[in-house]
Amino acid sequence: MNLLEKSKAIRNQEITALDSLEKFNQVIASKNSNINAFVQIDHETALKKANEIDARIKNGEKVGKLAGMIIGIKSNINVKDFTISAASKTLENYMGSYDATVIQRIKEEDGIIIGMTNMDEFAAGSSTETSFHGPTNNPAAPGHIPGGSSGGSAAAIAAQMCDITLGSDTGGSIRNPASHCGVMGFKPTYGAVSRQGLLDLSMSLDQIGPLAADTSGIAMMLDTIAGNDPKECTSIDWKVPNFTALLDENPEEALNGMKVGVVKQFQEVTDDHIVNIIEDSIDKMGEMGAEVVELSFDYVDLCLPTYYLINYVEFFSATRKYDGRKYGHQIEEVCGDEVLRRIHMGSYISQQEFSGKYYKKALQARSLIRKEINKLLNGVDIIAGPTVPKLPHKLGETLEPMEMYAYDVLTVIANLAGIPASSMKAGEVKGIPVGLQFQAKPLDDAKIVQAMAALEKAA
Amino acid sequence: MKCGLEIHVQLETDSKLFCDCHTNYQDAPANTNICHVCLNQPGAKPFPTNENALEGALKIAMMLDCKIADDVTYFMRKHYNYPDLPSGYQRTSVPIGYEGDLNGVRIREVHMEEDPGQYKPDLGIVDFNRSGIPLIEIVTEPDMKSPEEARAFLRELIRVLEYSGDARGEGTMRADVNISLEGGKRVEIKNINSIKGAYKALKFEMVRQKNLLKRGVEITQETRAFLEAQMITVSMRLKEGAEDYRFIPDPDLPPMQAKEEQVEGIREKMPEPPHIKVKRFMEQYNIAEEPAKVLTSELELADTFEEVVKSVDPQFAALWMRDELKRVLYYNKISFDESGITPQQVIELLKMVQKKEVTTKVGQRIIENMPNSSKSPKEIAEKMGLIGIVNEDEVIQAAQKVIDENPEAVADYHEGKSAALNFLVGQVMRFTRGKAEPGRTVEFLKEML
Repeated sequence: MNLLEKSKAIRNQEITALDSLEKFNQVIASKNSNINAFVQIDHETALKKANEIDARIKNGEKVGKLAGMIIGIKSNINVKDFTISAASKTLENYMGSYDATVIQRIKEEDGIIIGMTNMDEFAAGSSTETSFHGPTNNPAAPGHIPGGSSGGSAAAIAAQMCDITLGSDTGGSIRNPASHCGVMGFKPTYGAVSRQGLLDLSMSLDQIGPLAADTSGIAMMLDTIAGNDPKECTSIDWKVPNFTALLDENPEEALNGMKVGVVKQFQEVTDDHIVNIIEDSIDKMGEMGAEVVELSFDYVDLCLPTYYLINYVEFFSATRKYDGRKYGHQIEEVCGDEVLRRIHMGSYISQQEFSGKYYKKALQARSLIRKEINKLLNGVDIIAGPTVPKLPHKLGETLEPMEMYAYDVLTVIANLAGIPASSMKAGEVKGIPVGLQFQAKPLDDAKIVQAMAALEKAA
Repeated sequence: MKCGLEIHVQLETDSKLFCDCHTNYQDAPANTNICHVCLNQPGAKPFPTNENALEGALKIAMMLDCKIADDVTYFMRKHYNYPDLPSGYQRTSVPIGYEGDLNGVRIREVHMEEDPGQYKPDLGIVDFNRSGIPLIEIVTEPDMKSPEEARAFLRELIRVLEYSGDARGEGTMRADVNISLEGGKRVEIKNINSIKGAYKALKFEMVRQKNLLKRGVEITQETRAFLEAQMITVSMRLKEGAEDYRFIPDPDLPPMQAKEEQVEGIREKMPEPPHIKVKRFMEQYNIAEEPAKVLTSELELADTFEEVVKSVDPQFAALWMRDELKRVLYYNKISFDESGITPQQVIELLKMVQKKEVTTKVGQRIIENMPNSSKSPKEIAEKMGLIGIVNEDEVIQAAQKVIDENPEAVADYHEGKSAALNFLVGQVMRFTRGKAEPGRTVEFLKEML
């Protein structure tokens, strides 16, 4: 039973929201101390909500799209009355004073928010090891990092602690842990989902998106959270497709006639074991009727420096509010190494004397990357390739910053270009999940969902 | 000396620049006009820029004869650390207007900013009611050559802002003043909150720098603060300590572009700026600069004048409105707008005086009763018994009565004291309630004495 079927079953009173919640509670109770996916749980409110929804269904009242779905939220998205710590000591005392737009929409659609998930401190990482709450374990490959920064959101899905989670993706922070944990993760087009209420890492790159065990969960959440927010200036006013409707009839046929681009440079920077699995997936897509074309992208080396320069400067700016006066701690005094590194780098680069040298150059490079990737996408429907170029390291292993950054090389492109991208499980190497990434043109989010659904069906 | 100014004034809008909170920060209890956006709480993003603020800023820029940026404009983040700044940066736009002019002082640029909160160390609080209120900043070239010129410029600027109807005037003004004397470096003075303060700061600084130069002390580039209570300036920091604000374009706000039809729409609706109006009044109505300035001191007064002169001689109207009307407004401490006086009332009064239906003196009495009166001048006059010029018999009667009742004054007159005649004329006027013509009264009195 996929998530859409489960949601229908709840509506048809075949199962209750309460049963579903209790089941998850048991899993959380037995596994979370080991996995550390959730950093805060609110059983009581969730229980009340579940009972209310069951009662409304029983009375034949109308319920929302997410009725009875149990949802986990990354700790950098404002939810009233939860601690929104961004996994940093800086904000250990900050209680969400308002609901982010995505949270308002989830609540309107009767989703049941059960708790807040673990993450890298301020989302500045790719392993969920830098959390003030301690690292998250990978349920799909125990002893390995779950990826990051939305590691808790991916692990919660992999460990079956809830139905759907929200993550945020600035340079791969949804897709990377989805890949390492073997679940579905989706980063929408920049502006397709409101950022109002999302704590900033890098404002021009950040995007909220869903993680789930199957495509229907992704689609249901996109139906809920996508769409214009007049109170957020970078939000796009677009005609939002009905994502769940795309899955209604013969979704496997969507690949028939689809043009799928494969970028050879993406494969070249990737571990051979991973490439083999990705190629199997692409072959499969070919068998299902997709036309596979080889593409070339000459700017892979430019992507990481561009991404990090922008990230540093915007993060420096975003963290100026954590000056110790309002939220208890001054960020520089309590944060971890990676956050401090980014603040110092951002402060350094954005000095007046360097303004033309680093940040402006990075913005120019970004325009170039955006232009080039859109050029490639003009000839195809989607680009398919690996999500992460290497397997996750073991928990406790120390990596140099540049080794850590190398995890992001294939995911930052979508953020720099503002295009939609996803990750789904393609297979395993030595028992560790490997993710297949799709990317598409801006606002072609639906094409990715269709490709995911088709391939999922064939597996 | 050379002096340039940077003037901040709040724009008059109902809601803040980037959220829906109200802007009546002075009336509201501390920290009640706030939300997660103007407090910049974690995750909060600005709402789209307040259109009214943007249009107001464009209008003011145009009234200052600025060119309007036809390229995209955007907000920058200016980073600094202060308790009143909840995000650690202030949003400040790139110039929306540039290369303007106000009475020969070049305007370098006009841009928008958001106001920070108010740090009140005496109360131990930061009040964020003001945080996010739109500001306009006007930057001049160093074109003023004396404290007096700077004062005259500021007065004129405030008048332009009042004319625009989109700014809050001198009460919300904050200015930085740059001053350099021949042979010295540029000194910036911050913390000036009034026109008088700017004048006093410049006066003080001019004397201070002159004395230093006289003693052969070098004037280095520095920033000084004006202490309003003592009317002096004190050093804040030298150039080496200049802050680096690490400006970056705000990623949360997309670039803006003033559309041509929007600019034209504002241009059509915007009031003629007062300094232009002065020149036009002088030419069109053949009146001197001084009355033209008085008449344009307030937009409503200027509009009324133009309405009045459609049916009354402009020079006669200018004289009356400058002298008598302004005297009454000044006495009552109200603006023309607040007086509620209509053009029709002014026209009727001036026609009565011109046709000699009432004397000048009676006209003065009537106008004194015009503020906040819905009555016409005729009705006012009738109610006070002031209507009409009395006939000669009545004047003669009154004169006789005055002569009978004031034998001492009569005696003084016969001794050649001319003041006595003035006294007697005054008495006749009193009896006739000002309705006697002064010239005729003198003639009658002289004959009868």
